Amino acid sequence: MSVETTPADRQGRSRSEELKTLTILWAIFTVLGVIFALIVPHHLMGPSASNTMTEVERTFTMFSVASAPVAAVVWALAVYSLMRWRRRGAWKEGDPDGPPLRGHGMTSGIWIFLSSALCLFLLIWGLAALSKVDSAAASGATPLEIDVTGQQWVWTFSYPSQGVESDQLVLPVNRPVVFKVTSDDVIHSFWLPEMGIKVDANPGVTTSTSTVPDRLGLYHVRCAELCGLLHADMETNARVVTSDDFDTWIAGQGGHA
Amino acid sequence: MGKKLIGPIVTVLLGGAFVTVLGLLLHQSLSPAVAARVTAATPPSATEQHHVYVHLDTYPDSMAGEHGKDGGAEPDWVSYGPGTNINVPAHSLVTITISQYDGGEAITNPWFAKVHGTVGGTETVDGKPVTQIDPEAVGHTWTLHAAPTAQDPLFVSAPLPAVPDDAPIAAGSDYPKPIEVTFSFHTKGPGKYIWNCEFPCGDGYYAKFGGPMSTRGYMSGTFTVS
Amino acid sequence: MTTADIYKTDPSPVAPHGGIMRRLNVGTGIIAGIVLAVVANVLAKKLADGHTHEPDVRAVFTMFGWAVGFLLGMGAFTGPFRWLVGRDLTHADELFLAGKDQGVGRYFRFTTDHKVVGIQYLVLVMVMLGAGGSMAMLIRTDLISPNSGFLGPQTYNSLVGLHGLTMILATIIMVTGPFGNFVVPLMIGARDMAFPRLNALSFWLLVAMLPILYSAAFLGGIPMGWVGYTPIADQGPPGVDAYMMAILVFAVSTAVAGMNITTTIVTMRARGMTWTRTPIFVYGVLASVVLALPAFPFFMAAELLLFVDRVMGGGFYVPNRGGQPWLYQNLFWLMGHPEVYVILIPAVTALMELTAVFARKPLFSFRIAVLSIIAIVGLSATVWAHHMFASGWAPDLNGPFMLTTEMISIPTGGLFLVILGTIWRGRIWTAFPMMCTYAMLWNFIIGGITGIYLSDVPLDYQLHGSMFVTAHFHYTLMGAGLTGAMGALGYWFPKMTGRMLGNTPAFVSFWLVQIGFNVTFLGMFMVGLQGQPRRVVHYDASFHTGNTISTLGAYCIGIGMLVLLYDVISSWRHGDLAPMNPWGAKTLEWTVPNPIPLENFAVLPVVTEDAYGYGEEPVPESEPEPVPASAGAEADVPGAPA
Repeated sequence: MSVETTPADRQGRSRSEELKTLTILWAIFTVLGVIFALIVPHHLMGPSASNTMTEVERTFTMFSVASAPVAAVVWALAVYSLMRWRRRGAWKEGDPDGPPLRGHGMTSGIWIFLSSALCLFLLIWGLAALSKVDSAAASGATPLEIDVTGQQWVWTFSYPSQGVESDQLVLPVNRPVVFKVTSDDVIHSFWLPEMGIKVDANPGVTTSTSTVPDRLGLYHVRCAELCGLLHADMETNARVVTSDDFDTWIAGQGGHA
Repeated sequence: MGKKLIGPIVTVLLGGAFVTVLGLLLHQSLSPAVAARVTAATPPSATEQHHVYVHLDTYPDSMAGEHGKDGGAEPDWVSYGPGTNINVPAHSLVTITISQYDGGEAITNPWFAKVHGTVGGTETVDGKPVTQIDPEAVGHTWTLHAAPTAQDPLFVSAPLPAVPDDAPIAAGSDYPKPIEVTFSFHTKGPGKYIWNCEFPCGDGYYAKFGGPMSTRGYMSGTFTVS
Repeated sequence: MTTADIYKTDPSPVAPHGGIMRRLNVGTGIIAGIVLAVVANVLAKKLADGHTHEPDVRAVFTMFGWAVGFLLGMGAFTGPFRWLVGRDLTHADELFLAGKDQGVGRYFRFTTDHKVVGIQYLVLVMVMLGAGGSMAMLIRTDLISPNSGFLGPQTYNSLVGLHGLTMILATIIMVTGPFGNFVVPLMIGARDMAFPRLNALSFWLLVAMLPILYSAAFLGGIPMGWVGYTPIADQGPPGVDAYMMAILVFAVSTAVAGMNITTTIVTMRARGMTWTRTPIFVYGVLASVVLALPAFPFFMAAELLLFVDRVMGGGFYVPNRGGQPWLYQNLFWLMGHPEVYVILIPAVTALMELTAVFARKPLFSFRIAVLSIIAIVGLSATVWAHHMFASGWAPDLNGPFMLTTEMISIPTGGLFLVILGTIWRGRIWTAFPMMCTYAMLWNFIIGGITGIYLSDVPLDYQLHGSMFVTAHFHYTLMGAGLTGAMGALGYWFPKMTGRMLGNTPAFVSFWLVQIGFNVTFLGMFMVGLQGQPRRVVHYDASFHTGNTISTLGAYCIGIGMLVLLYDVISSWRHGDLAPMNPWGAKTLEWTVPNPIPLENFAVLPVVTEDAYGYGEEPVPESEPEPVPASAGAEADVPGAPA
């Protein structure tokens, strides 16, 4: 079948085909990206052990979902350009050049508008999450206060109201806890990976962080700032126990509830 | 085709050889393990096979430890001796005796002036059982903790009292009469642990934790349970 | 006295051939450096005998003696010295310094020709990448299992720091050094840099720096990572003095180089090369050095304060003496974040430059490219404290710093738009340099998105100091930056060496490096999310899988890089001779013959249009036709109907 077509027709059809293929590619990449975003980060970060970590995982997943279409635009264009516009063999003198396209106001405008809008969304989300994290321990029961001391290369935890000191961190479940963190020597970083909190232990200064542990289990305290020879060994256990077990532990350590 | 491959393959091999040589130069060579005296004849309990005795010393310098008579590169640094790498069997009772020759002062974290993780929560100082020592006169500590790998947690910390500054030099020795500290603890399954001194004794360095405190073979070492 | 008498004072009778100046080279430099180092060491021992800081005083005196002696012995100060004693350099001396008719020997002298300096930088960058890469291999080997015991903590911590610092210094100079020096003067139609002697000085300062930096390994190592945080830097062995002195020398070098490149680009562009006709790579190099000029002095200041702490017993960073470690962190990151863009911008603009050539299309939206670069330069100076969200310093400022950090994603998106727009409907020639553009698009989008996670304060509380951060910045600095530099190498290799870079090994290397890279750092993202901290010599067994993946990927990168090294060496020695303009590019560096004559252009070019006129009719040589008077008059009438 042969139909007479004008060059303008051909160009029009190929343009709409271009856009169609590109959209399909973009949609495929986006869907793959979203599936990845919904499953993988949460799986890797493991079950959350505090309200802070729940928020962290939600934000991570949300950002990943929001980034999927952006990355998909770049990858779809890159893949499509290789499929469609790739030259076979090397360039030779006299070969025709590509179209002299020096810019496209509409495309640039949409691009910058969309990236600004996305940026604004992330910012608002971030600020909201930040205020939530900051006020995490402000609600509910009176927070348990724990003084954390980092020194080369061990952590010690002091429960001032209970009169207990330990190299292990034991936390009652569902009770807000405030960590007052300092260091005896260099900078350490107090990190509870399963609870999504971290703050540096600075010599001469007390910093604080707080959370509400909401899952029983055995977790870790790690140092996240290179602090010298045995930095890698500056790790101890954090146990989240029931309120009764906590009182028993305090009593066993010679403290008072 | 074969000719074309020779160049890249030789380059890759040379590069690999370079990295291997560098790795052999920088490879961690641990000094020989401290000899542990094992008594198998009388198992301490039904679950434990061995009772192991280890003897360590702490010196105010490096003249008597693993660095040789002239004290090695840094003769003035405090050190543990006769070595800093200790091997013990799993599921055993370990008794460590430390002859403490060094002076001391107040410890930054008084928690480490207490005894932690030993049998009965005590150590003996020159034969007297104690649960803690004077935090104003600590010489060193021997603090054992776990490397972050999947192995049984082990935490032992024994403070060593300071030898008074005015103690007389013992006859036939370069040092005063040492303070003998003894403590025991149970090992669990096999694992690689580290121990170090938690009393800041790296004089001349910020927070007294540089120099001997931050260099292998002086105030820290490995503790292998096998 | 007549005018003729005044000008008869030269040449000097003592040294018909320029005397001692012509005998100086890298050998005399090393001898003089060692002699002065020994003298300084003895002097320092006399000065500080028995003092607490004696080892540090001796270390810095020795290093300072080495650096000054090396440069003196190289003849770095011959020009100013001759000027001081009233025997300024003759034309013959200047030609000698430029390396005229000296063969290979000119690469081992204080040679001022920008092309020689460019090649010297290229070799230096490859040496540094090789050193840093070897350290990376050892680090990854140690991490192949949870508690391998291969290196031990002391060596490992030092290696992590030296690997980081080596790679950061190498990537800072990897584009502006070789290509900024070799290509930019050609690209703007200049005969040399504005200050050729400063150009040579900037290079030889780096050569003087390297032994200082690596002496750290023999002085107890550095316990604090490449960032050199205090107060652990106050606590460390004399290796930290080596770190400190190396940074001081490096900062002088970048200041000299930055000043020189800025002056060259601003004042020495060919006639007719207006800012709208200046190639984007020239903008990239200019942005990089203009950003480095104010940024690196912060680093220098930070290290000078550390110098006072360590060598003279000051307490700028020692809390119990009123010092403040956060001061160091602020000074460091005031340099540290702009530095990321010092590395990235020239690499990305090099890819833009070659993307236009390999797509045979004009650069898409030149204006957005330039505005994005300017916006990034401006914003990057305002984001430093996002590295300190978890430090506890000024929590109230976390919100504002999150804002500025996330805003940077907008101009960064602009850079993507320019490259994607240039690719759009191009006639894409996927030669090795262009493959690097595609690899950069893939890697940089991952690096950029993970950067947005880290800019979010609550997420940063979790991810800061973890392997996630390590993976993120490798995706930007290596995945985008180093990939860009490799593209630039493939693109300008024919002009720099006169020979083509062998295609097949480059192709093999590309895939090994890029696949290895993604395997390595996706594995690292994995363990970072699982909760592995950075810079640990051993780790929890639950991170074993991800670390093994990373190590295997790293070996793959190593092999790929060695294949590229082979390609560079063998092509340099006996590759195919390159035609004058193998890619059919329109920038000026391709209009000079191979090999490029001294002073580049017989006749300085005059520029009448930009270098991106692909697919366009060339602008007629003659003056444009005068506009009909009626048309002009019509347009001038206010309120005329459209």
